[in-house]
Amino acid sequence: MANVKVYSTPTCPFCKKAKEFLKQNNFTFEDLNVAESEQARSEMIKKSGQVAVPVLDIDGEIIVGFDREKIKKALKI
Amino acid sequence: MDTGKYDTVIVGAGVAGLGAAVYTGRFQMKTAVVGETPGGTIILTNDVANYPGFSQITGLDLAEKLQAHVNNYNVETVEKVVTRVERCPEGCFKVFTGNEYLHTQSIIFATGTEWKKLKVPGEKEFTNKGVHYCALCDGALYKDKIIGVVGGSDSATKEALLLVEYGKKVYIIYRKEKIRPEPINLNRVMGHKRIEIINNTNVTGIKGNTFVTSVTFNEPYEGSTEFQLDAVFIEIGHIPLSGLAKEIGVEVNEKGEIKIDRDAKTNIEGVFAAGDVTDTVFKQAITGVAEGATAAYSAYHYVNEHELICCHSDEE
Repeated sequence: MANVKVYSTPTCPFCKKAKEFLKQNNFTFEDLNVAESEQARSEMIKKSGQVAVPVLDIDGEIIVGFDREKIKKALKI
Repeated sequence: MDTGKYDTVIVGAGVAGLGAAVYTGRFQMKTAVVGETPGGTIILTNDVANYPGFSQITGLDLAEKLQAHVNNYNVETVEKVVTRVERCPEGCFKVFTGNEYLHTQSIIFATGTEWKKLKVPGEKEFTNKGVHYCALCDGALYKDKIIGVVGGSDSATKEALLLVEYGKKVYIIYRKEKIRPEPINLNRVMGHKRIEIINNTNVTGIKGNTFVTSVTFNEPYEGSTEFQLDAVFIEIGHIPLSGLAKEIGVEVNEKGEIKIDRDAKTNIEGVFAAGDVTDTVFKQAITGVAEGATAAYSAYHYVNEHELICCHSDEE
C-alpha cells in the first residue's frame, strides 16, 4: 500500500476533495495541517518548492493540486 | 469509443450544470453531467450569503447539496475533462473526453469561467510562490503576513475579508477610484482597521527571490512605486470558457460569452447554455442555477420535438 501524505489547510476545498478521493479509493494517508504546523509547512515547501495546497506526497512523488489523473497514476489505480 | 447515447449532455459540473441536471433528471432525460470539478468555482467561495434560502453557507457545502439533489435522479456524473465537441450532419453531437465520447441529441454548455490573469512580469514565475488566485485555498499559509488583493469587485472584497483573518494587514489594490462590492461588504471593509484600500493604482510587476517580496505600481504610493508584501491574491475577474462551444459554431459576444436568449437557447439548434459562460449580465450562483433549469426545460422540449437519427459510431 502506498505511503501517502497530504499537506493541506482546513478551508481549502481542493484539499477536501483530494482527501475524499483517497478515502473513496481506500487509501489511508497522513493529514498534515500546514496552517497550524510550521514544521509541516516547511516540509511541504521543501518538497514542492512552492506555497499552495493541497500537496500530495505519494511514495515520494510530489503532486501539487488535486490532479486526479496524476494521483491515480501515482497510486497505480 | 462510443460510451453511450444521451438525450442531453451537460458540459460543466458547476452550479449551473448541476441545476440543469436536477431538471433534466426530473424530466427523465437520459443525462450525463461531465466536468472535472463538481461544484465549479463556487467551491472557492467561503461565504455565500446571497443564495436565497441560505443565510450563510460555504460554496463547497452549497455545491454538495446540489450534487446530492442531482444524485436523487438517474443522472450520470462523469468527472472528466471534455476535450472537444463535434456536431454530426444529422444534428446530434459527440462530446469527447479524450478518446471516448458521448453521443447526445442536445448539449447544455455550463462551462463557467477561469481566472483572469494580470499579465505582468513576475506573475507566472511567482505563481504559488506568493502569487495566488484562491484565498480559501492558500490564505491560511500567510498568517501574520502582509497581503495584497488586486481587484475591486465584490469577490475581491470578500477575498480581502477572508485573508484579514490570517494576515497582519491586507491591502486592496484597485485600478479605479472606488471599489465596488455589495454595500454590506463595503461597510465591513471600510470599518476594518487592518484593511487598507489603495485606489487608482495598477500593479505593473511582481518581484521577489524564491518567493514574492514586493509588487511595483504605476503610481507612487507613500513615496515609492515599489511596495513590500508577502503575497498577492489576484481577483480581477474571469474569462468565459466558451472554446468548446465555439468549435461547433456557437455564437459568442465580444467578451467571449455565449449568447443566449430568454430560453437559454444559443444560435445552434439543440445547444443551450447556462451560468457564468453566458452573456447574462448579473452572474450569481442563483442566476446560474435558474438558467440551468431553463436550459433543461428548453432541451427537454427540443428532444421531444425532434426525432434524430444520430451519427453512427465507428464500430457500427
